[in-house]
Amino acid sequence: MSLIHTENLTKVYGKGETAVVALDHVNMSVNPSECVAVMGPSGCGKSTLLHLLGGLDRPTEGRVMIDGSSLSTLSDNALTQIRRRKIGFVFQFFNLIPILSSVDNAALPLILDGKNSAQSRQKATEWLQKVGLSERLGNRPDQLSAGQQQRVAIARALITDPMLVLADEPTGNLDSRASDEIAALLQQVAKEWGRAVLMVTHDPRIAAYADRIVFLKDGKVVNETRLEAKNDRNREIVAGELRALAS
Amino acid sequence: MPVRHAVLGLLAQRPRHGYELRAAFEAVVGGEENWDVKPAQIYTTLDRLEKSGLVAEESVGQDAGPEKRIYAITPAGLETLREWFADGIASEHQHDEFFIKLMVGLVSGAADPYQLIQTQRTHLYQELHAITTQRSRADPKKELAKILLLDKAGMYLEADLRWLDMTEARLDEIKRQPLPQPEAKPRGRPRKI
Repeated sequence: MSLIHTENLTKVYGKGETAVVALDHVNMSVNPSECVAVMGPSGCGKSTLLHLLGGLDRPTEGRVMIDGSSLSTLSDNALTQIRRRKIGFVFQFFNLIPILSSVDNAALPLILDGKNSAQSRQKATEWLQKVGLSERLGNRPDQLSAGQQQRVAIARALITDPMLVLADEPTGNLDSRASDEIAALLQQVAKEWGRAVLMVTHDPRIAAYADRIVFLKDGKVVNETRLEAKNDRNREIVAGELRALAS
Repeated sequence: MPVRHAVLGLLAQRPRHGYELRAAFEAVVGGEENWDVKPAQIYTTLDRLEKSGLVAEESVGQDAGPEKRIYAITPAGLETLREWFADGIASEHQHDEFFIKLMVGLVSGAADPYQLIQTQRTHLYQELHAITTQRSRADPKKELAKILLLDKAGMYLEADLRWLDMTEARLDEIKRQPLPQPEAKPRGRPRKI
């Protein structure tokens, strides 16, 4: 069973002749432990899709189903609860609070949700250790590299034990080395920690970490590609590539 | 000729015999699965280098069995090696089969160019995924040669994928602005106004 899926999800901005169809009857799903990349040229509807999946915007037509419940039938209050507890968000520019330490930044979603501060900070520390930041617990964002800041943001996204992590161009502000590390970490979030991960990216290098790529164009899904080839073929591909390069 | 210069470089390190050279070459490229050089190629290369005066043979008798031929680099060989290290190397552009497939599809109308691009994209993404997976499993401390080659293979694939995106965008442009048709020229003498 998929954790999140969309049914004829459609978003139209404006009315009449000036109406712009940003999403056009999109049907897609993400399973638990699956990492899916959404790609497509600018203006293809990637961001709109992400906003609708995250309950940040409401569709014109169709619906988003998360863990069996439809986002469109929920009250604003219930929607806020889902956003806080079931979905983790990761952004291109990290969106960390400048004056807070890594621990306080990562603990923020729990504290805003009214949880005990000491327990929240304890949990934040555990997640920061898991994402490889044991040495940077007390540092403020300006004392961290861009890659480390994104790790804090990922710890913050995971602290509420969400079922789904939505990442909007998570490597868009990172150099290629840090990009690889963050993409590998998001893959780990899905594979090792069992969350469904959906990332929007335009970087082929990052998309290649996913299990599946959904291609959007003019608001429609034009293709879906499963990346995991059978193990034998994987080895064959790599051996072929290396031979071609070296000789 | 990369093998030729590699042999010179390995002999600059110290004199070696043919068998040793091949083993050293294999170690440098990270295994014969990356770059397989047959013993015959090593000996032919040594032979040519010797004729050009870039290496010289030192025969050393062994206690038992046939004598081994040990090769050492000459001053001329060192100079050739120095030049190799000093110069840049032109990138290799090979004929791209997908390019010709796309153009034939476009011109003949026998295939949908968007479908061709999507099929190729799927193929390349699967390759890139395989490369990415292998690279994350390789140990940077023990498998440097392999990792460097995997990085390179990945970046080539990335470039090809970006090129596919750009190609698709160009096809969209052409579709929105139909190719200009040749104007029908008025025949006969121009009319007097």
